[in-house]
Amino acid sequence: MNISEKTINNYTIVSLQGILNASSAPKLKTYIAGMPDEQSLVIDLENVEFLDSSGLGALVGIARKKKTSSAIMKLARMNERVKKVFEITQAYTLFDIYDDVSAAAEA
Amino acid sequence: MKTLLVIKKQEYEWLIDLFPGVHPLLVPICNKPFIEFLVDFAILAGSNALRIVSDGVLEDVEHYCENGSRWGVEISYGSMRPADDTHTVIEKNRRFCLEERVIIISGFLFIRYNKKSEYASLFASLPSGELLSCPNGSISLTGTSTTKTGTPGTLPFSLAALDSIGKYYELSMEILSTGLTHYVIPGYSSEENCYIGRNVVIPKSAEIIKPVIIGNNVQIMTNSIIDKNSVIGSNVIIDRESVISGSIVIDNTYIGEHLEVKNKIAAGNLLIDPQSGTSIVMEDPHLLTTMTQSRVAGALLRRIVHAVGATFLIVLQLLPWLLLRPILGMQGKWKRKREQHYTGLPGKNVTLTNTTIEGTGAASAFAKALSLDRFTLLFNVLIGKLALIGNLPLPVTPAIRRLPNSHEGYRPAVFSYAEAEEWPEIGIDAEIVEHYYAVHSDPLKDIAMTQKALFHRTH
Repeated sequence: MNISEKTINNYTIVSLQGILNASSAPKLKTYIAGMPDEQSLVIDLENVEFLDSSGLGALVGIARKKKTSSAIMKLARMNERVKKVFEITQAYTLFDIYDDVSAAAEA
Repeated sequence: MKTLLVIKKQEYEWLIDLFPGVHPLLVPICNKPFIEFLVDFAILAGSNALRIVSDGVLEDVEHYCENGSRWGVEISYGSMRPADDTHTVIEKNRRFCLEERVIIISGFLFIRYNKKSEYASLFASLPSGELLSCPNGSISLTGTSTTKTGTPGTLPFSLAALDSIGKYYELSMEILSTGLTHYVIPGYSSEENCYIGRNVVIPKSAEIIKPVIIGNNVQIMTNSIIDKNSVIGSNVIIDRESVISGSIVIDNTYIGEHLEVKNKIAAGNLLIDPQSGTSIVMEDPHLLTTMTQSRVAGALLRRIVHAVGATFLIVLQLLPWLLLRPILGMQGKWKRKREQHYTGLPGKNVTLTNTTIEGTGAASAFAKALSLDRFTLLFNVLIGKLALIGNLPLPVTPAIRRLPNSHEGYRPAVFSYAEAEEWPEIGIDAEIVEHYYAVHSDPLKDIAMTQKALFHRTH
């Protein structure tokens, strides 16, 4: 999985590309752990080809960690494959999900 | 023009128990699913795209409406959080809302409109802002008008809140008595105020008094009377010499012989009084109520694999259990509790003995590490009462008499998928994992997950 980042307003936009599963979830967690705890995030999921329960666990873990540090984590641009997993698991109730990265970083 | 429908789960939750098995947005009003009235209105208002946003599960709605091609409109779906207000929902759907004017229909409400009126030019000319509101929600418009801005006088549509079974009944009766020509109603209509579906059997001795709507595949037996202001759904049998008057008979319902159903709603085996909201259970000898798909054939391989896995674990744990169980029992560290749990089959529960190993001694730690607390449960896998891995069995409590809808695909098991994953911290995390594997598991994956559960369980 490839991870890239840019900044919009005070948000770090983390764009993921590839597969977010049990083997790549630790990479994402380590990457996010390298940022300051209080840094707010938008995770762009447009290019995530596959998401499994471990990947979902990584996102839940990051969101929870950010919440404890009073930072914000949002998700943006879910593609249909990712959206399906969020629908099945009803995990959408835990996240703020935007269809646009800039909207997420401005709201 | 686009339309954004924002409907929160708490606004339609009251319908779930009254019409089990039907998503509230698909509950029929005069034999037409509720969501279709909103789709029709959006199209009449000139929308070429529609997005349905909710904090509840939209799977059934998505399955029914698909991408909207059948109406010639593009339908997409979005999610929101229960606390989100309309402004937040618009922000979350900015890409959808950006390019064109958007009609925002917020709340679980019915829009009274007339299909013969011209709405497209009206909406194009109206200024942005809230157009109409009712206690249950509102209609508003974003963007600037493309034509000369009109003054919003009396709008040719109004809102009706849908917040109780009484309102649902009143609305259906209102459409039947005065508004049948205002909407597209399913069925064949050779004369005014009378709509009849396909494959409807009406004997000569039966009497039909309009206004009336009858769905598809309906059998009306001899000497029955379908009196005025009645809606008969699809797949319905009205047995001989029964009278239906001012009532709504929902799809898949059997009305027995010599019955008089007056000003009521009959849904499956429930007879509901719309005024008080009380309901009584009727006999359903024809089992017209939707049947849940048999899981026997698909589950056979899984059951065999689980039984083999359970046998292996029984053999592995037998000796340690025989040695440690009496020791921990004498130390008072082996606690047992018998409880009723849901099986996932309607009306069937299973009594399970849940064991807790207490204390921190060597014997306790060893017993916990070997998951000996689950040893006796493994025998339930052999007799098919439990799966080896699935959902943690949900105890039957007086507060929850029926398995909640959120537990679709529920399969009570000795070990749970959530125990196999390392990340769940709280109940909702476990639910997410269990929902995930309700769809993504297979027998071989189950064996791997059982292994993971054995190692990852908090010992």
